[in-house]
Amino acid sequence: MKGIWWKLAGAILFLYVLIGGITVPLKPGITEVSPSHGYTGTQVQLDITGYNTHFAAAGDNRAWLKLDSVLSIPHSAITADDDNRLKANFVLPQGFASGDQTAPLTLIIDNSMDGVFVQPNAFFLTRDTTSNNVNSGGWESDALKGFHHPSGLAFPYRSILNETIRNTFFHVALWFAMFLLLIAGVYHAIKYLRTKDIDHDTRSAGYTRVALLYGVLGLITGSVWARFTWDTFWTQDIKLNMTAIAMLIYLAYLLLRTSTEDVDKRARLSAAYSIFAFVALIPLVFVIPRLTDSLHPGNGGNPALGGEDLDNTLRLFFYPSIIALTLLGVWMASLLIRYERLRYKWTFKT
Amino acid sequence: MNIVRIKDIFVKDVTIELRQKYAVGGIALFAATVVFIMYKSFNNINPREWTILLWIIMLFAGLNAIVKSFLQEKKETYLYYFTLFDPLELIIARLFYNYLFMLLLFCVVVFFLSLFSGYPVKDSALFFGGSALGLFGISVIFTFVSVITASGQGNTTLMSVLALPLVLPSVLLLLKVTAVSVRLISDTAVTEDLWMLAGVDLLLSGVLMWLFPVLWKS
Repeated sequence: MKGIWWKLAGAILFLYVLIGGITVPLKPGITEVSPSHGYTGTQVQLDITGYNTHFAAAGDNRAWLKLDSVLSIPHSAITADDDNRLKANFVLPQGFASGDQTAPLTLIIDNSMDGVFVQPNAFFLTRDTTSNNVNSGGWESDALKGFHHPSGLAFPYRSILNETIRNTFFHVALWFAMFLLLIAGVYHAIKYLRTKDIDHDTRSAGYTRVALLYGVLGLITGSVWARFTWDTFWTQDIKLNMTAIAMLIYLAYLLLRTSTEDVDKRARLSAAYSIFAFVALIPLVFVIPRLTDSLHPGNGGNPALGGEDLDNTLRLFFYPSIIALTLLGVWMASLLIRYERLRYKWTFKT
Repeated sequence: MNIVRIKDIFVKDVTIELRQKYAVGGIALFAATVVFIMYKSFNNINPREWTILLWIIMLFAGLNAIVKSFLQEKKETYLYYFTLFDPLELIIARLFYNYLFMLLLFCVVVFFLSLFSGYPVKDSALFFGGSALGLFGISVIFTFVSVITASGQGNTTLMSVLALPLVLPSVLLLLKVTAVSVRLISDTAVTEDLWMLAGVDLLLSGVLMWLFPVLWKS
């Protein structure tokens, strides 16, 4: 039993992430609002399409169009066609105080089953030629109250991301685990150069191989994710291409390891190369992408792992996923290492 | 470590190279030929292609030239050096020699490219300064890889496979700096790229000097 507990922990944690990450529902969200613009002083009926909503089942729907942190318009009439479709009527005010001709309004919906959810810039209010540049009647200052907050676990709803937000547990966690494994590999490479103990070379190679596997899996999951959010498997994006280069560097490492039969020479060369490659990787993955604009989160002003993108329900699976993938990676590496050790033993016996 | 000794090794390298005239002449001729082929196949090279061609030619000509730097001398000669020099002195001298070589090659390629298809650079200081910075990083990587290949089987395929992905960050930064100096793009933050090139140079040369004594023993 000794030494097996962390393997079990890794497997159980990963199972937890797999099951939880796929079965926990998304929070309700608004996918479509039509019409998306209207003129001041008119009446408008909005057809709202929701996702994971319970409009008909809840029955007590309320809707607002919010101008700023104070003013909003409550609905005048509201009917739910079914759980995902809602018709809300609004009487648009005569005017609004703004330098612009058009004001973006945020749609807020609340009911007892879904709780409150919003769609920013859902509706654009355009000023009629006759209307004034003042906040006229129709705007209410204390309408937004009495929201429901249902309990239960749900992932945040993000437009564009939609259900693919679950990929955070796999794509992002794979990169974290990959870096931890690479660090382990470089640590053993340095250890090898210090001690000349061939076992450190075996370990270094084992960790680096699994890290490379994780890198490839990370690229694949990222590519699939990109297909559903950016509508393409691969883009000119700097971060993607830099990562591809990093993978090439490590594939070259594998090639280098097969290039010579002499065990000590191979160990020395590959240890030196893996240290050099790791140092070269730092500007590649961490510095250069930050200088250039990019679609990828974490670059050019796009948020990554911050704000609302990683809320507490996501954290509940994201951090365990990193731990689980790292443990599984170490497990895989230890199998590779044990296999190599057996081979050495066998080679030097005969 | 001794500056005078480093200088001596450096001078020795240069003297050996100059004695075998075919080596320097060969590389210059290679550059001229490649530029001419590019010129004839493109007919009319616009500034954008000019910058890209410059760095592609530099990459492959430099790779060809520097691979040899640890392969050209015999094993016995190295054994002799081993008894004579401190590895750190040897690698610094060799690194500067390779760097000088890359700079010369760069000038030759720029000369021929300008001869055949004009000189589109608007900001020469940025162009040469940025290139000098970036070429240092490229020399460090090529030198490192040439040490690895020399102590391995001396396989040139392995050399290019190892070296090309490693130099890519430097080359991408260089392409950007060059594009700015040709005014293909305007970028006020170009000094940031220069700092980055300098940072990559320092980082890689530090690792090279740390690792070389270990590799050298074979």
